[in-house]
Amino acid sequence: MILEAINQASRLWAQRTAMVIDGQSYSYSQLFSIVDQVYSKLANIDSGVIGIVSGNNIGTYASILAVLYAGKTYVILSPDFPEQRNREISRQAAIGHVITPSGLEPNNDATYYAPEPVATCANAYIIFTSGSTGHPKGVPISRANLDAFYQAYSQLGWKLDEHDRMLQMFKLTFDVSVVSFLYPLTLGASVYTVPDEGFKYANVLDVLDTYHITFAAVAPSVLRLSRPFFDRLLLPHLKYMVVTTEATEASLIADFKSCIPNAQVVNLYGPTECTIYCTAYFLPTQGSPKQHNGLLCIGRPLKGMKSLIIDENGKLANHDEKGELLMSGPQVMSGYLNDASKTQEAMTWIHGTRYYRTGDICYYDESGEIYCLGRKDMQVKIQGYRIDLGEIESRAKAYFMGKRNAVMVAVKCSGQLTELHLVVEGKPCDPVGVMHYLAMHVASYMMPKQVHFIDTFPLNANSKIDRNKIKEIIIS
Amino acid sequence: MEKIITTLTHIISKLLNRDNILLSPETTAHDVDGWDSITNMLIINEVEKVYHIKFSFRDIAHMRNVGDLCGMIKEKTSSNS
Repeated sequence: MILEAINQASRLWAQRTAMVIDGQSYSYSQLFSIVDQVYSKLANIDSGVIGIVSGNNIGTYASILAVLYAGKTYVILSPDFPEQRNREISRQAAIGHVITPSGLEPNNDATYYAPEPVATCANAYIIFTSGSTGHPKGVPISRANLDAFYQAYSQLGWKLDEHDRMLQMFKLTFDVSVVSFLYPLTLGASVYTVPDEGFKYANVLDVLDTYHITFAAVAPSVLRLSRPFFDRLLLPHLKYMVVTTEATEASLIADFKSCIPNAQVVNLYGPTECTIYCTAYFLPTQGSPKQHNGLLCIGRPLKGMKSLIIDENGKLANHDEKGELLMSGPQVMSGYLNDASKTQEAMTWIHGTRYYRTGDICYYDESGEIYCLGRKDMQVKIQGYRIDLGEIESRAKAYFMGKRNAVMVAVKCSGQLTELHLVVEGKPCDPVGVMHYLAMHVASYMMPKQVHFIDTFPLNANSKIDRNKIKEIIIS
Repeated sequence: MEKIITTLTHIISKLLNRDNILLSPETTAHDVDGWDSITNMLIINEVEKVYHIKFSFRDIAHMRNVGDLCGMIKEKTSSNS
C-alpha cells in the first residue's frame, strides 16, 4: 500500500524534487533511475535479506526503495557501529547480500518511475535495538505492519501535499527514519536530509531555516540543545512540528512556540515493535497542553490500534491508576528475530487478543488519553536512542570475565541532558581497557561518559544492588 | 588568534571536564574526546556568553575546525566594537 502510493506519486510528480541531500536536489525520476539500477541487480540475487551500508547519500535511500520494491527485507549496517556489532547483526539477520550504495548516481537519459512492488510476505525491514543479553535484538517489521502503520498515520489529518518540504533527521538504524523518508514520497513532497559532516544539531537547525521546512519530526533533544538559541530561531514556514522518540517537557514546547508561530505541535509515541508510532497527541493551539509531571501526554492509539493498562497483578488498571501500557493491533510485530523466549516475554494474551508489553508505565485520564510516567525495566532513552543498560553492563562484565560486577547509571546533567556512567565494583584500575572493549561492541551513543569504581556495591532491603544509592554516590 | 585559542581551551576544558586539551587552528571536534554534536551546542553557547556575540546556525553548521571558530569570533567581536 505504501509502495503503491509512492509508485503513484512518482508517476504524477516525476520532475518534482524528491530529495535534497547535502544541497543537491534529486527529482523523483532521478531517484527512481537509481532504484532501477539497484532493483535490476537484486533480481539476480537469491537472498531475501539485504544489508545496506548506510550513508547520507541518494544511493542509500534508493537502495532501501529498491529492496522494498523487489520484495526483499532490508537491514541497515551503519559505518558508525563497531565492526563486531555489524557482524553480529549480519549473522542474526542472515544477510545474504550487502549493498554499498555510495557513488550511485542518477541516470538522466529517460524518465523513471517507481516499479510495481513484488507481491511477497517477506518482512519490510529489521531494526536492531539494544538487548539486555549483551546482543542487539532484531525487530522484524512485516509489510502488513508497515502498511497498517501507513494507513493509520495518513489518517491523522495532516494537511500536506506535493508542495511540502519535509525533514529527515534520523539515522537509518532508527525506525522514525522510515516514516520521515517514505511518507513524503507518498505525497510527491520533498525530503530534506541532514548532513553527516559537522555538528548534527546545528545542521538540523540550519536545514530547517535554510530550506523553509514545512514538516519536521525531531527528537526533543534537538530543542533542548537549541534552547539558548531560541531568540534567533524563527521558522514561520513550519506547519507541523512532531516531537518523538522520548518524553518531551511541556515547558520546552512552551518556550519553543514563539519560534514556530504557525506550527501545530504533535507528540508521537511508539516502540519499534509497534511500527514507528502507535499513539498521537495533537497539542491544543491555545492554552496548556495535557501533561503529567511536566511531560506531555502521549494521546490516544492510532486507528486500528488498541491499548490497555494493567497493574502489577495483571489486572486492568482503572482511570488514574498506573500500570504497564499494552498495545495490540496490526502494527504489532509478530515476534523478535530468532528469539522465541524474548517474544514470549514481550507478548501476552488478554481476552483472546495478543498484546505487546511496552514496558512503559502509564495511566489514562478521565477522557482516555494516555500519560507515560517512565520505564519498568532498565531501558533509557538518550538523544532518542533506546538503550538497555543491561546490554552495556553485560559487555562490561564480559570484559572483567565475570569477576567484577558492573552497573550502568543514567545521570541527568545540565539542560535536561542525560549521561551514562559505568560503575565497577572493586579496586580502581585503568578504565581505558574497559572503554576500549565497549567501543568495539556497542554503538557510540551507548558509551559511558566516565568509569567509576566502588569497593563494594550497596544493597537494598531485598539484597539487590541498590542502583539509586550507587547513583547518589557517583553524583556526590 | 593565540589569545582566542587560550580562551577556547579554557571553555572547552571546563565543559568537557578535562585538563589535557591542546587546541590549534587545525584541531577539529574529532580530535577532542567528548566534543560532539551535543557538547558543541554547549560550547558555542558558552563562547557566545564570554564574547557577547551571537552566531547564526549557518555559521555553526559550517564551522569545520578551531581556526574557523576563531575566525568567526574575531569577525563578530570586531563588528560589535
